[in-house]
Amino acid sequence: MTGRRRLSERTRGFLLVSPPLAVIAVFIGLPIAFGVLYTLGYTGGFNDTISLIAQHQSTGWGIGAYRDVFGDSLFWRSVRATVLVTVVSTVLVVGLAWLIALQLRFRAGRWARLVAGVSVLPMFIPVVIGANAILSCYGSAGLFRTVLHALGWSEPPVFAYTVTGIIIGQLWTNLPFAVLMITSGVQGVPQNLLDAARDVGASRWQRFWSVLLPLNTIPTIIAMTFTVISVLGSFTLPFIVGPTAPNLLGPLMEGTYSALNRPQQAEVMSVFVFVLAAFASVPYVWANRRAARGVA
Amino acid sequence: MTAGAGGRPGAAGRFASAVFGIAVLVFVLAPLLWLALRAFAGSWTYPHLLPSQWSLRWWSQVWDTPGLTSSIRLSLIITPIVTVLAMIVCLPAAYAIARYRFPGRQLVLMTIFATNAFPRFGLFITMASLFYSLNLMDRMAGVVIVQLIGTIVFMTWIPAAAFAAIPPSLEEAARDAGAGALRTFFTVTLPLAAPSILVAVILSFLAAFDEAQGTFLVGSPDIVTMPVQMYSLIGNYPDQVAAVFSIMLSIPSVLLLSLVRRRVLGGTIAQGFTIR
Repeated sequence: MTGRRRLSERTRGFLLVSPPLAVIAVFIGLPIAFGVLYTLGYTGGFNDTISLIAQHQSTGWGIGAYRDVFGDSLFWRSVRATVLVTVVSTVLVVGLAWLIALQLRFRAGRWARLVAGVSVLPMFIPVVIGANAILSCYGSAGLFRTVLHALGWSEPPVFAYTVTGIIIGQLWTNLPFAVLMITSGVQGVPQNLLDAARDVGASRWQRFWSVLLPLNTIPTIIAMTFTVISVLGSFTLPFIVGPTAPNLLGPLMEGTYSALNRPQQAEVMSVFVFVLAAFASVPYVWANRRAARGVA
Repeated sequence: MTAGAGGRPGAAGRFASAVFGIAVLVFVLAPLLWLALRAFAGSWTYPHLLPSQWSLRWWSQVWDTPGLTSSIRLSLIITPIVTVLAMIVCLPAAYAIARYRFPGRQLVLMTIFATNAFPRFGLFITMASLFYSLNLMDRMAGVVIVQLIGTIVFMTWIPAAAFAAIPPSLEEAARDAGAGALRTFFTVTLPLAAPSILVAVILSFLAAFDEAQGTFLVGSPDIVTMPVQMYSLIGNYPDQVAAVFSIMLSIPSVLLLSLVRRRVLGGTIAQGFTIR
């Protein structure tokens, strides 16, 4: 390749990737930058209109808005609920996805394929409908209670409008992505590696821990990261299925923004959620770096 | 856990796998079936497993409610606009990421990933403030932008992986035979990548069609799409009406899903989410 062609390839590359980058810069980068500035009291620039609408805000540089939010016990109850739901849902999602993947790999039959195929179905169902379905299935007149009642339990629990209901819903909506990631990884492990491990006397458990799991660290981490981020950023599911208070941060942000008309405080919560998500993304970035170096 | 790994499953293993499979099927399907039954229920009281009366009147009630039909129309207008816009914005970039070596390529991929790494609702909260200033609140354009954001990852990463999987030698051969760059792209590259692009288009279409939370925040009170309508249906209308509307809202998803089921299960999505 000549120097001129490489230069033109470079230019073409930059030109072609610029449209999505421009969209991201203007509609994600800009609002986040101004959002952070607004939480710190800056009311100029693109914050001019919102600061006219807001009911209660701190103006002039400072951390007044952060003080407002962090001093509110309802916020911390919501943070605790959010973290609890995130951790429990992620563990359940990834664990169940692994079980489905193992079943598909080692029971390669129609049944295992059917189970894996059906577990991906919620990906194609709008979240509002999933939430509505979970609400009515686990509600006071839902299937769950009806079946337990028929089995002789006179007062079965109601999971609609509870944190448990949110977890059930998160498991339902986030399972498909994790199943896709992890089954694809587990299916890709060469059979001869597993055979070799068995030949040297590795038990099933050892083959899982020392062959399958290490070879699938990256898909597992991707599934975990995206589940964490999805739960942290969810609004629909906790809004429809969750309790009034303390609900997750999504509905709290919406209520603070719209009903209370306190956009500055809502944006403080956004920044808080972004920081949580940034921590959750560290393993993903690390795993991809490792993959790029060819270690995994 | 790894029951039967490499060996013949015993009876206990088969039993465990059957029980596990049934549990998964019930967990995923039961809520949907329960909801679907509700759409045909005249009267249904706890703790009866089936409705005591069946009825189709909820279906006509949906068509007679003006707000519901206008939301259907709005969804069918906005979603195609978003999908086509996503293709125009993202597909050239996907090709460039797969084929051209330029400084910052990895950074571009990470930036596009970052659109998904921001917890959605937090992002929408900050977007709404910008939209007030740009006069995009309660506007069609604002809703299109909110939905477009959710399609960028699908429309760049999945096609990029597909373009990258096509051996450059095929393109070079076409070039050597005298085909120009555009002709090579449209006669060699694009047809080979088409199945994955179709998956990306369908996923983007569904992402836009199903987007509720951002549209709710930015489009209210006038731009009410089908999924946003669901928020007010649940609890404010009879359960049966919400159930009927849910079925209607699922139709595009189920139809499009059956088109690409194999590819999605075959790892197209999984491949797309690993940075190369």
